[in-house]
Amino acid sequence: MNLLMANILLNVVLAFLVGSILFGLERKIMARIQMRPGPPIIQYLLHTLKFFIKESAFPKTAAMPFYIAITAMLSFIWVAAVIVGPVMGGSLLLIFAIYALHKIVEHNAGSSSGSPYGKLSCVRAVFSAAAELPLFAVLIIIYLKTGTMNIGSIISYQSIHGPLIYSLPLAAAMFFVLILSKAHYSPFAITKGKDIISGYETEHFGLLRGYLMISESIAWYMLLWVFLTVFIGALSPVGYLIGMVALTAVMAFISATTPLLNPNHSIMMQTTFAFVGIVGSILMIM
Amino acid sequence: MDASLFGALGGQLLGIIPLGDIVFYFTPLNLFMCAAALAFTFLIAISQTESQVEAEFGSLHDREVKVEKKEFKIRRFLAIVCGLATAGAMVTGDLFDFTLFVCLIGIVNIGIVAAVKQVDVLDAAYQYGLIAMIASLPLFGGASLILASAGTISLLQLVQLSYTTPMMALGSILVFMGVAGESGVAPFFATKAEMFRTPGSPFLLIIHLSSLLVIVRMIEILLIINKPF
Repeated sequence: MNLLMANILLNVVLAFLVGSILFGLERKIMARIQMRPGPPIIQYLLHTLKFFIKESAFPKTAAMPFYIAITAMLSFIWVAAVIVGPVMGGSLLLIFAIYALHKIVEHNAGSSSGSPYGKLSCVRAVFSAAAELPLFAVLIIIYLKTGTMNIGSIISYQSIHGPLIYSLPLAAAMFFVLILSKAHYSPFAITKGKDIISGYETEHFGLLRGYLMISESIAWYMLLWVFLTVFIGALSPVGYLIGMVALTAVMAFISATTPLLNPNHSIMMQTTFAFVGIVGSILMIM
Repeated sequence: MDASLFGALGGQLLGIIPLGDIVFYFTPLNLFMCAAALAFTFLIAISQTESQVEAEFGSLHDREVKVEKKEFKIRRFLAIVCGLATAGAMVTGDLFDFTLFVCLIGIVNIGIVAAVKQVDVLDAAYQYGLIAMIASLPLFGGASLILASAGTISLLQLVQLSYTTPMMALGSILVFMGVAGESGVAPFFATKAEMFRTPGSPFLLIIHLSSLLVIVRMIEILLIINKPF
C-alpha cells in the first residue's frame, strides 16, 4: 500500500514537472522561430509556483462554493488520470471519461466567475467539446483492432504485432490534432484565445490559478503519454522523454507559424479531421 | 457470467446490484462516472449562482444579470434530477433503462433553460426540444431492434454474445443517433451552445456533464454490442 502511494506521488510530481518544463520549451521554441529570445524554459514552472505564494482574491460575482470547488475538481481528475495511466495501466475508456470531465470543468471554470471573458470561453468550450471528444473517440478504433481498451493489453499487443502507429496512422494523426488543440497558442486553442484575455482562467488568482496551472501541466504530460504508449508501445523513461520533447517541438512549430482560428472554423476543421480519422481507420482495418 | 469480458472495456467487473429486472453493474469506468455525476450533483445542490456583469450599450454603466429566487429553486431541482438520472445511466446494466435515463436527461435539460426569461436562450431551448423529441424515435427504435435481433437488452447478456448481427449493428447506430439528439451533442451542438449564455453556471454544468458522460457511456455500450473485427 505504501509502495503504491509512493508510486502515485512520484508519478504525479513527475507529470507536473515534465509537463511544466515542456510548456516552457514550447514557448522557447516558438520564440526562436519568431526571432525573439523568449522566456527561460523553466518560466512556466516558476509561474505556477509563484501563484501559490500570491494573495488569493475571489470575484464578488462568483458562484460560491462552486467557483472554488471546480479548480480542485480539475486537479483531482488529472491526478486520477495519472493513477489510471502510468501507475495502474488501466482502461483507455476511463481516460476518455476523464478527458470529458476536463472539458466540463474548463467550461464551468469560465462561467462560474461571472466575467464576460470567462463566459465567452465557456461557450467556446461547449463548441470545442463537440469536436475534441470525437477526436478522442478515435481511440475506439484501437479497440476494434486490438480487442481491448486496457492499456497494459494494448502494450502487449504492440510488442507482438508492432507499433499501432503503422497500422492505424489516421487514428494517430487525429489524436495528434487533439493534443495540438490543448497546446497554448495553437490554432485550435479557442478557449484561451488572447481576444478573451486568458479565457476561463481570466478571473482565477493566487492559489486557484496555481491549481489550474498544475492541472494543465499534468494534462499535457498525460496526453503525450497516452499518444506514445498507445501508438508506439512501452518505452523506457528516456524514450518517453525524447518522444514528449519531439512532439512538443512539433506542436511549437505549428503554433508559431499559424494564427488562432475563428471558433467556427476551428470546430469544423477538427470535426472534419475526426470524421476522416474514424471512417478512414475503420475502412483500413476492415 | 464471465466477469472478465468487461475487463477489456471499462476494467474489471467489481460487482452487480440486481433489483428484479433492473440490474446495476460496476466497473472502474462506470463507478468513476457515477461518482463524478453524484459529486457534481452535490456541488450543484449547495452552490449559489454567479452574477453576470455586462457593459450597457450606449452608456458607461454596467448591467448585472442575476438568477431570481423562484427561478433558482426550480432550476436547481431540475439540475439535481438531471444529475441523478446521469448517475443512473452510468451504472445501469439494461439498455432500455439507459434509454429511459437518457430521455429523462433530455427533458430536464430543456426544463433547466426553459425557466430562463431570455428570448435567445428560449429560442435555443425550443430548437433543442424539437431535436430531443425527434431523437426519441431512433433512441427507443434502436433498442427495440436490438431486443428483436438478440433476444435481450441486458448488457450483461449482450457482452457474452460472440457475434453481432447486421440488425444489432443498425440498432446500436440508431441508439447512438438518439443519444446524440437527446443530449444535444454534435451535430446538434449549434443551438445548445446558445443556451449556455444565460447565468446559472452550476445548472449549466449539469447539462454539459450529462451530455458528455452519456456519450462516453454510449461508446461503452456500442463496443459491448459491436464486437472487434
